Amino acid sequence: MTMTQAPPPAPPMVAPPAPTPRRRNVPGRVRTLTGATVAALALLFTALAVGSSSARDGLQVIGRDAGPQVVATAGLYLALSDMDAQVAGALLMGNGYADRRADALARYESRRSEANQALLKAFQLSGDDPAERRTVQSVLDGLGRYERLAGQALLLDERAGHAPGPPPAEVVATYRQATDLMRMVLLPQAYNLTLENGTIVRRTYDDKALMLPLLRAAVVVAGLLALGCLLALQVFLARRFRRVFGPALLVATVTTALALLFGTNVLSQDQDALREAKKSSFDSVLTLARTRAISNSMQGDQSRYLLDKERADTYEHTFLDKSQSIFYVPAGNLETYQAKVTQGETKALGLLGPELVGPRGRDVATAFAGFQAADADLRKLALAGRVNGAVAARLTTSTQAFDAYDRAVVALAGQHEADFERAIGRGENALDNLWRLLPFAIGGIGLLVIAGVWPRLKEYR
Amino acid sequence: MKRVLAVTAALVAALAAGGCASGEAASIVDKDDIVIAVRPDLPSVGFRKADGTFEGFDVDVARYLARKLGKHVTLMPALAADRDKVLLDGRADMVVATYTIDQDRKAKVLFAGPYHISYQDILMRPDETFKNVRDLKGRRICQVKGSNAAERVTEERKVAAQLVPFDDYAQCLEALKSRQVDAVTTNDVILAGLAMRDGSGLRLANAQFNEQRTGVGLRKGDVPGCEEVNRAIIDMYQDGTASKLLHKWFGKSGLNLGTIAVPQFEGCS
Repeated sequence: MTMTQAPPPAPPMVAPPAPTPRRRNVPGRVRTLTGATVAALALLFTALAVGSSSARDGLQVIGRDAGPQVVATAGLYLALSDMDAQVAGALLMGNGYADRRADALARYESRRSEANQALLKAFQLSGDDPAERRTVQSVLDGLGRYERLAGQALLLDERAGHAPGPPPAEVVATYRQATDLMRMVLLPQAYNLTLENGTIVRRTYDDKALMLPLLRAAVVVAGLLALGCLLALQVFLARRFRRVFGPALLVATVTTALALLFGTNVLSQDQDALREAKKSSFDSVLTLARTRAISNSMQGDQSRYLLDKERADTYEHTFLDKSQSIFYVPAGNLETYQAKVTQGETKALGLLGPELVGPRGRDVATAFAGFQAADADLRKLALAGRVNGAVAARLTTSTQAFDAYDRAVVALAGQHEADFERAIGRGENALDNLWRLLPFAIGGIGLLVIAGVWPRLKEYR
Repeated sequence: MKRVLAVTAALVAALAAGGCASGEAASIVDKDDIVIAVRPDLPSVGFRKADGTFEGFDVDVARYLARKLGKHVTLMPALAADRDKVLLDGRADMVVATYTIDQDRKAKVLFAGPYHISYQDILMRPDETFKNVRDLKGRRICQVKGSNAAERVTEERKVAAQLVPFDDYAQCLEALKSRQVDAVTTNDVILAGLAMRDGSGLRLANAQFNEQRTGVGLRKGDVPGCEEVNRAIIDMYQDGTASKLLHKWFGKSGLNLGTIAVPQFEGCS
């Protein structure tokens, strides 16, 4: 490239009249150089095409398949877990809260139809993954059985006409079968579907995080080669034909340089978009979806604690266990745990640990402490033998505290979901622009090379 | 053109090599042979026989997982206190040894699974009628060195039982039969295995009071390995192996096998 400054008068050409073999050699060399240039350009555009379709593929899998699947399966978990929580609530109300019982049953029905819709969607989105399809099918089968058992428990409960609090033993026995099916068979499968989509996203991301920089490097190498060939061609033509400028080839060179810059820029933008979508948005969306799923079932655990005396200890332990998986502070029993959490402990391990940053994160921490405080009150009433008061607390103060906490989690998740959408959209936009301009660049550069070389070759006809 | 390709290839290779070299500790996915630690001391769960080979539910699960991952497996023994250590110092790649998932352990170890949900339960003489943990109030229960199961009754559940210390479960069982204690409490599969080996009619209360998620321990950071193990666990339940193995080892023990289903996973991240 340092030869670009070389002056046109080439000494060996001036003195003797060029011999015939040498004259025949010139068009040959022009053709070779042109061929090399075209090949390098083809390499450049192939690398760009491969790189950008790889990025497109990553954005598609992360942004349009697995991302929405996480939302769909988390919705499935919520609907299922809330169905069971509504049944437990209705059984607890007895004949004391006719209106609320009707509300709970209506909500049970609407959650059931949500669950069915979410299952259909999950099946649709599962593509041809056989394990995922088997899981969806198994949840569908189990849901039928659950509805039958829950229906029986509700019917027996209505006939018993008991006071608010634990229903008669046969109702509890039937409900146990229903809730065991839900908690041990159906909910875990829905939860694992959500996790599986997290796996798909991680694999795609790791794959792209390795491939995109390589493809970008390939684009740079091919682009520099193409530029080198174009310059060599021009230097050769300038020396052989004593023309300082070939305007067509000059424009082709500039266009190639621009395509190279723009292309590598788009690829690195997409790399950034994928990183942001995965690391700072998707991971949080997934974590918060899991948090919300686990939290919702804790409300059911409160009702089950109140309605099944024999298993009350098991359900209390489950409540503590879930609380600690969400927000971990070391504590040997629920009382100690709640004392620590409600005293404003904000540093914690567990799912929520890394998410509790920013004002919305702090809202979640406060609301979680509020929910735990309400739960502590409820358990105190139950231990003091005031079943009516405990049931009332479950249906009023505790529900309100839970709803406030749930709203805070949804708000925090909404922020990350919006960031996720934005990052994916930005990546796709950059690619769209590249793909719109690429055909023109290829066509234009091709025509310019022909326009630059053809007249020179014609001189030898 | 050849030179162009050669240069590109060399560059790609150099970058790829750099990318791999900067990676973290190898995943079990990248190995052909793996070492799995199992318990040598729990009948029907993880037990070393006189000839030095292992048998039990955990052992069969370990072999199944290795086969699903396409690995050649070597088993090694690990007692309760050694389970973290063998993973951290690299002697084992995986731990399948009634390893209960908890938040403290998660700081050191990555858990795949759980592959089984067990509960804390009560083992009693045939003439007793304990139905749940509250029935232990005022009774004598065995406290085994190094296990916190008995304290969980008195502290976590706040049941005023009397703790009587012993060195190991063998002594506990003798004390139970000779009426020095009234109950032995720990993980239900451990109790089921002990009762079957004992064969004198001791039975489980099926009180199921503390849920214990039994997971597969992996080195921290081995996310791809964890995800593969989780998929293998789903297969183990979907193809009926889990049910077969649970019935094979605990079918006659009185352990409640009414619901056998894939547990809710802990998640690999």
